[in-house]
Amino acid sequence: MSESRIRDASLADDGERKIAWVAEWMPVLNGVCDRLRSDGGLAGRRIAVILPVEPKTAYLAAGLAAAGAEVTVAFQGVMVHDDVAAGLAARGVEVFAKRGSTHEEELEYFDRVLARRPEVVIDDRADLIRLAHTTHPEALETLLGASEETTSGVTALRAMEADGTLKVPCIAANNARCKYLFDNRYGSGQSAVNAVLDSTNLLLAGKRVVIVGYGWVGKGMALRARGLGAEVTVCEVEPFAALEAYHDGLDVAPILEACATAEIVLTATGVRHALGIEAVEALPDGALLANAGAVDDEFDVPALRARASETRQVREHVEEFRLADERSLFVVGDGVCVNLSAGEGHPAEIMDLTFSVQALAANYLLQNATNMTPAVHALPAEIDESVAREKLKALGVRIDRLTPEQESFLHAWEAFD
Amino acid sequence: MAVADAAARSRIADIGLAEEGERRIAWVARHSPVLKRLARNRLSDGALRGKRVAVVVHLEAKTAYLATLLAEAGAEVVAAGSNALSTQDSVCAALVRRGIEVHARHGASPEEFTADLLDVAETGPQIVIDDGAELTRRIVEHRPELATRLEGVTEETTTGVARLRALQDAGLLTFPAIAANNARCKHMFDNPYGTGQTALTAIMRLTNLSAAGKRFCIVGYGWVGQGLARRAVGYGGRVTVVELDPVQALRAHMDGYRVAPLAEALDDADFVITATGTTAAVTAQVFPRLKDRVILANAGHHDREIDVTALAARSEPIEVRPGVTRYEIDGKRVYVLVDGALVNIAGGDGNPVEIMDLSFSVQALAAHHLASSDLPPGLNTFPDDLDREIARTKLSTLGIELDEESEAQRQFGAEWRT
Repeated sequence: MSESRIRDASLADDGERKIAWVAEWMPVLNGVCDRLRSDGGLAGRRIAVILPVEPKTAYLAAGLAAAGAEVTVAFQGVMVHDDVAAGLAARGVEVFAKRGSTHEEELEYFDRVLARRPEVVIDDRADLIRLAHTTHPEALETLLGASEETTSGVTALRAMEADGTLKVPCIAANNARCKYLFDNRYGSGQSAVNAVLDSTNLLLAGKRVVIVGYGWVGKGMALRARGLGAEVTVCEVEPFAALEAYHDGLDVAPILEACATAEIVLTATGVRHALGIEAVEALPDGALLANAGAVDDEFDVPALRARASETRQVREHVEEFRLADERSLFVVGDGVCVNLSAGEGHPAEIMDLTFSVQALAANYLLQNATNMTPAVHALPAEIDESVAREKLKALGVRIDRLTPEQESFLHAWEAFD
Repeated sequence: MAVADAAARSRIADIGLAEEGERRIAWVARHSPVLKRLARNRLSDGALRGKRVAVVVHLEAKTAYLATLLAEAGAEVVAAGSNALSTQDSVCAALVRRGIEVHARHGASPEEFTADLLDVAETGPQIVIDDGAELTRRIVEHRPELATRLEGVTEETTTGVARLRALQDAGLLTFPAIAANNARCKHMFDNPYGTGQTALTAIMRLTNLSAAGKRFCIVGYGWVGQGLARRAVGYGGRVTVVELDPVQALRAHMDGYRVAPLAEALDDADFVITATGTTAAVTAQVFPRLKDRVILANAGHHDREIDVTALAARSEPIEVRPGVTRYEIDGKRVYVLVDGALVNIAGGDGNPVEIMDLSFSVQALAAHHLASSDLPPGLNTFPDDLDREIARTKLSTLGIELDEESEAQRQFGAEWRT
């Protein structure tokens, strides 16, 4: 029944090697999938996985399929690794994803996924859920719920909930502590900074790096940029985050001011055009721009393209935009999430946490969605905590537990003498 | 040289790759302001005109830009790689297209690699820009008659300077050599900041693994090891340093790292990175101490810091990802990156462009110095005034201004009376 749409099935061996590699570094997910298989709860259940097609997501999809679920995978073109898509298809999972696919193809892929009538969606940026609530209402008849991967997706779901549009329960997987505390901060922090350096072969030490947005991703990038010797300035609109950046010892400045001397600008705001064309215009000659946020147009690449007198690919993943005044700006990774467009995405061990959360969230929805309201829900705290404990165990890190006396102190309200 | 001549004399993989090589060189040119301003200016006095200059350095875009500037200054340049795994075929093609003779192919066997270097030797170079003394020691060993024609050698690496010193001790350094590596604008930046950053980014990219919380064992705490340790911490890793020199070990301790003998440090190491400049840093003797799924990488000049041969003798090597080879030793999985070759070069694009702008400015000025002055045979230092001029130029391209020593400070420094 598999009708996969992939670029080249002959790349399956390369993809399979990459999937096999990450499997070694995802001990918690291995355990979760083993348990889901033995308890049989996923058998025959239909799950759609809408995530960038790279080795870790492939391993999640394959793990759910191995646990008995009927899994369909799709994603937009820039973040698809064709070899991994082929490897996943060869494992018997239905995949609709090609690097460089057209918008029409992508819409068709999502149509095909929705035609499979998924019961649960593991979604990214609420892409499939939004389609199900707008152009494909028939999908809602069989959809039990969704689990959302990103900060920006959760924001969209909350907006849908607020105006009464949301018809199914959604778990904000992103808001699980085992997700955002690690994936967004350490995962994006390391892999986004790494992708920019790998793509450009430039030095970070002494560079003026501007981080736009000091959420978890921004914090991680600032930490790693500083760790590699950069001078970091943070731009924020939110006073608490700005104050946090200040106390973390970073410069804080308005975006136009910061951009005037920036050598590298990294965005992670989850907001479209967070770096407006005025800020882009303020950048000095040679500045590099990259986006690590989930929203594709955090800086306005089309506007930049419209203003450029000439554009050309100067290295793989690096495009030059020559402006009328002879300045050149360089966009790394097409302005979409740079760690995926110019790299293999987050480190495997980090995604072990994220995807254990996702697998357990999907399972929770399959078992409990009928008793849940059509709203954004948190992943139950005990599930979140179990993932953290499993990870610590896999790492060989031991921790203490509260003594009964300490435990009762925490729950008492009376004054102690 | 005309392109057709260069192509006829060269031995490269495929001239059809030139366009990609050109793109890479153009990117380097853009980020090499010191070479562009200072070196180009200094080299234009004609001292190098007609000189046969051999450039035997990792043949990628930065080296190609250096070779181009030397050719532009009138030198007859011949280029070869200093390591077969670091040679980029597209860059070789672009150099030939630029009229420069090249003898290098990516992945050449040790025999082919030596043959390429000997072909370069046969061109009778007067000046050699060397890396690891790869060409110099082959000339001394295999073509001693050519050594007499050498006007000078300038050496890029710590390892190469050590080899030149060994040649000097053996009475074989009969021509002048400049320890370019020992220039402050080279080893204070290239080794720690350049290799430190790029070795770590290469390891992370090759493995797609996380550094945060991991144990890094850094073997060797020279300039490279210090940079590796600092950047490993910058990535959230925890570092143990292994060192034989007691002063360096003490320094590592006071820099806040755990210091331990190798075998002990390996017990909990997730990543082991060697930067000793010597051979056999990680050998069969300590294999039993390696942790399951340890990642071994080398950031030193030699391919032999990690004893890959001993690993291969005990287990079938399996490439599990591009650049990642698995060995099974006593039931444990041991992963070696890019076969133990310099991980930032064989597994990436090498040092950052801005860093090589400094290193190659030293090399360009050293070659010019050899061509324009009468140095004594043996090891020479790179002139301090040139070193300072490179640093000043770099600072000025960064828009950083400096204060001058005041008259009172100068007098205070010159005064010995109480």
